[in-house]
Amino acid sequence: MKAFFIYLSIFIFCNSISGDNFKERYYFDDPVDQQRFVNLLEDLRCPKCQSSNLSGSNAPIAQDLKLEVYNLIVEGKSDKEITEFLTSRYGNYILYKPPLEVNTLILWMGPFVFLLLILAILFYLRSSSRTRFKNSKDLR
Amino acid sequence: MKKLLNLLPLAFFAGLVVTLFFLLGKDNAELKSVMIEKNFPSFSLSTLENPNVYIDQTSIKKLPALINVWATWCIACRVEHPFLMELKDKSIISIYGLNYKERDNGDKARKHLSRIGNPYEFSFFDPKGKLAIDLGVYGAPETFFIDKNGLIKIRHVGPLTADIWEEKFSALLKK
Repeated sequence: MKAFFIYLSIFIFCNSISGDNFKERYYFDDPVDQQRFVNLLEDLRCPKCQSSNLSGSNAPIAQDLKLEVYNLIVEGKSDKEITEFLTSRYGNYILYKPPLEVNTLILWMGPFVFLLLILAILFYLRSSSRTRFKNSKDLR
Repeated sequence: MKKLLNLLPLAFFAGLVVTLFFLLGKDNAELKSVMIEKNFPSFSLSTLENPNVYIDQTSIKKLPALINVWATWCIACRVEHPFLMELKDKSIISIYGLNYKERDNGDKARKHLSRIGNPYEFSFFDPKGKLAIDLGVYGAPETFFIDKNGLIKIRHVGPLTADIWEEKFSALLKK
């Protein structure tokens, strides 16, 4: 238990030193907009650093895009308009959640196909071992 | 059938090895641009050379052309600079600079060019990276090829070298 709290505090500490504490530098009149800003930056990928979202990146381009998202929110653009603005320039790459399209079908459907496949195999193995069990009983 | 199923984990593993072998080696640092086959975005900026001269997308007159994203803070831009000078000196193609996110009023960039040579017709001064965002730029250097109709044909990320020029660009110029 003690170890757990030590881990927890390390985790919280690391979180507070990593990334960019951008939230303080962008002021919104409306807390709803503030929340939208935070959510958008969580779901947008930094094009330069590739494995980090905009909120966690300090790359110059990430800073520019944060400012751009801020300005778009202040201008009254909807979340959809903002993501369209960004994908029309940077492509779907910038979205952490890719849209359902023909070329992303495998991403969305793959896990379910795998699940079905595994279930089918398990089912097959179970039924075949059961018949074998039955057969061995019959022999006795 | 049963025997076949026993081979399944092995087959799965083999599949994994093959996929990872091909995917991990791939360089995804270069993103595909969505601007290809599109018109150059509209903009209004001053030139680096003269802050009082305003330019827009119609100021890119000598087509086909290269738009080269550069900055004084960008080290890789210095690597490609001699090759850009060569393109200019041999009049192979006209180059416009997109001076990206300088931290001063442009003095440093102006001095830099007068010292090492200026390969550009002129440079757009974009300290805030506004036009760069419209182009989908995510770093410097990047080079865009604009064809004679004003359409973006290529976006190259990283220093432009003679090899890359031959491989990617020169064929378009002959068209």
